[in-house]
Amino acid sequence: MPFEVVNSKVVRATVSPQRPVLARRGAMLGLTGDVVFRPVQGQGGGPAGMIGAALTSESVPMMATTGTGTVLYGFRGLHVTVLDLDGTSPLSVEADRLLAHDADLQTSVQFLGSGGLRGVVRGAATGQGLFTTRVTGTGAVALLSHGGTFALQVSPGDVVGVDPQAYVAHTGALNVDLKAKVGWRDAVGKGSGEAFQLHVTGSGTVHVQASERKLS
Amino acid sequence: MNTYSAASLPSGDNVNAYCFCVDLVGEWFVKKGAMIAHYGDVTFQAVTAFGSARAFLASRFASPVYAQDWVVASGTGKVLLADRGFDVNSFDLDGGNLTIRAHNLLGFAPTLELKQSIVPGYVTLLGSGTFLASSNGPVIFVEPPFRADPEALLGWADCPSPAVHYDTEWMAASLSGMLQGVLGRESGEERQYAFIGAGTILLQSSEVVREDPALLRLVEQQTQQLSRAQAGSLGQRLVARAQQPNR
Repeated sequence: MPFEVVNSKVVRATVSPQRPVLARRGAMLGLTGDVVFRPVQGQGGGPAGMIGAALTSESVPMMATTGTGTVLYGFRGLHVTVLDLDGTSPLSVEADRLLAHDADLQTSVQFLGSGGLRGVVRGAATGQGLFTTRVTGTGAVALLSHGGTFALQVSPGDVVGVDPQAYVAHTGALNVDLKAKVGWRDAVGKGSGEAFQLHVTGSGTVHVQASERKLS
Repeated sequence: MNTYSAASLPSGDNVNAYCFCVDLVGEWFVKKGAMIAHYGDVTFQAVTAFGSARAFLASRFASPVYAQDWVVASGTGKVLLADRGFDVNSFDLDGGNLTIRAHNLLGFAPTLELKQSIVPGYVTLLGSGTFLASSNGPVIFVEPPFRADPEALLGWADCPSPAVHYDTEWMAASLSGMLQGVLGRESGEERQYAFIGAGTILLQSSEVVREDPALLRLVEQQTQQLSRAQAGSLGQRLVARAQQPNR
């Protein structure tokens, strides 16, 4: 467990030569011990991942934290959630929500458009873009959100509707589909404000933030 | 839903995590804009205006750069103070000293004396009394040896003044980092404040740094030390920086 929760907005990571940590640049609040930071470009996942990251803006500047010591991480007063990945199911998340993660974890960029036109529409309508970041392996991830996150269990047969702005991440074998129900009321600005929803089906967990504010 | 009255408001305590109630008898120094409500016969006067009448009190506020951002609340009553929905904490100093980011200081009793710290943007409180500070999320207390990110550093107590630590490996590893260093842009972790010795360091989750008008006046003051040629080249660099797109 490399991330210890200090308070709702700050985590403490113990870094050792065996356990380096990747973190967002500018997220270090303070440190003890002999720790150095090295800028890292792109996302890993080989050349394809690099190109994907460069093309898609699905990339935030990260840095590798190496050495021996403890480091406090936080970012712009956003809430932090720590998730432990056991290696059985990857985490899908927007790159700009990654505060820090075990350097052992692999990140790669995933094209949402592979789901056909629907994926493209979903990305465009939700402001998430056409790409998302997939985190695989065993280790801990610290995610950023407005107002903290909570986890919603999705079982086969369930349909969970999520506001696209409140969606943070998901793990497990889940289908995330955009459902639009746009009527004439929305066209004249008298809609319910919930015309677009993400319908999540399958088996896994979806993480939702208690706010409709996106990060950037 | 709890409705407060002048009698039921807490006396010298937090109303909730984000709001503090000062039981005012006499005077208090209050940051401009921090007062959200008050009961009783309380007047608010600029420190500069108040100073002419009560020179002794104004002398407690030994920082002309910050004087225009502060008011003196005087009278008898209850004054509620808050700041941007941030956590508000009260601290008691007992013959000690504490340095804090000027922007996060909300108010202090006139038994304390305020001085400008030699670290730009920070002020030092000396003496005994209560003061209020806001922080983004709860305050984290750590002990030296410790290196802190300048944006996350809220303040420090009883420590020797911090030294600036540059992460040379970072500088060497990133050419762009070097260039940013030359232009005076610090967004990464290459610049840290290093603390050694005995004391306490106060940290908050880094906030989106707001413009502090006093900091501009302070840095401008310090440029008096530059020669004409140095001032000219600094001016050119600042213009170049102002013309760069936002990141």
